[in-house]
Amino acid sequence: MEAPQYVAARVQSALAEDERTHELGIRVDVRGGQLFLRGRVTGEERRLLIADVAREAAPGLTVRNEIVVMEVRDPEPGQEETL
Amino acid sequence: MRELRIAAVGDVHLDESLRGRYRVHLRDIGEHADVLLLAGDLTRHGTLEEARVVADEFRDLPVPVVAVLGNHDHHSNHPAEIAAMLSEVGIKVLHDEAVVLDVDGARLGVVGGKGFGGGYAGKCASDFGEPEIKAFVGHTKRIADRWRVALKELDADRRIVLSHYSPVKDTLIGEPLEIYPFLGSYLLAEAVDAEGADLIVHGHAHAGTERGVTPGGIRVRNVALPVLGRAYGLYRL
Ligand SMILES: [Fe+2]
Ligand SMILES: [Fe+2]
Repeated sequence: MEAPQYVAARVQSALAEDERTHELGIRVDVRGGQLFLRGRVTGEERRLLIADVAREAAPGLTVRNEIVVMEVRDPEPGQEETL
Repeated sequence: MRELRIAAVGDVHLDESLRGRYRVHLRDIGEHADVLLLAGDLTRHGTLEEARVVADEFRDLPVPVVAVLGNHDHHSNHPAEIAAMLSEVGIKVLHDEAVVLDVDGARLGVVGGKGFGGGYAGKCASDFGEPEIKAFVGHTKRIADRWRVALKELDADRRIVLSHYSPVKDTLIGEPLEIYPFLGSYLLAEAVDAEGADLIVHGHAHAGTERGVTPGGIRVRNVALPVLGRAYGLYRL
């Protein structure tokens, strides 16, 4: 059986190099026969696409998509910083 | 001289699917800021189609826009064309050079460029060995040298350095230690510390931390959109 570290590395490269994703900011871990994806992205479609690419790179593993969709907020008064 | 209000964001990573979704957050920017700085990774793949979206999102704003490109903007090997498209809509794109903006009589100087990696003092790549390593380190060294010259020659009331890669480790907290050499280089901070600046802003480290400081005491802000969680950071100088 392929060591989980190599599977994780392959998924990480696929996310970075696949032209559908080019995603460098996702954390990939293989634990207990499952593939965990964690990080923040800007939309639900993107979250699902990343899981698709990961699944193709690691067939046979259950993908746990723990990526969070980040909503961009308007800057609020009081969040500005005086340097 | 009055305070200057700096808005800054990086890593918006726009593509056609996000068209118009960022711009809604810019409707009041004229009330909040005097300038908007874009810290690179404006596109996802560095294509001209994506650059068109970037140009449309940031055109015709009530404040001047100054940008640098990021590694994603280089991916399709069209950085010059992307910069030209942004320039056409009035965005000033810096490539290891300076611009001085007049804000109600105050001269705001911005020195900017993509920056590059290599790591941080004591734990970094050095200019030694195979040509591939020398090319990697040499790229960062040349950039740092150009920033030093640009800062030395800069005549302005307030001085900001705009980068994509991080000059310090402080703003990387949250990123895995193993990838620090790909997130930035201390050579960038060293150059800025030598010539002085009031603020450094950068992006690239999506999982990092907003606030840091150089060894010489210059404030550093990581304005990557996923770090900020808000449309842009606002800093008064
Ligand atoms: Fe980025
Ligand atoms: Fe980047």
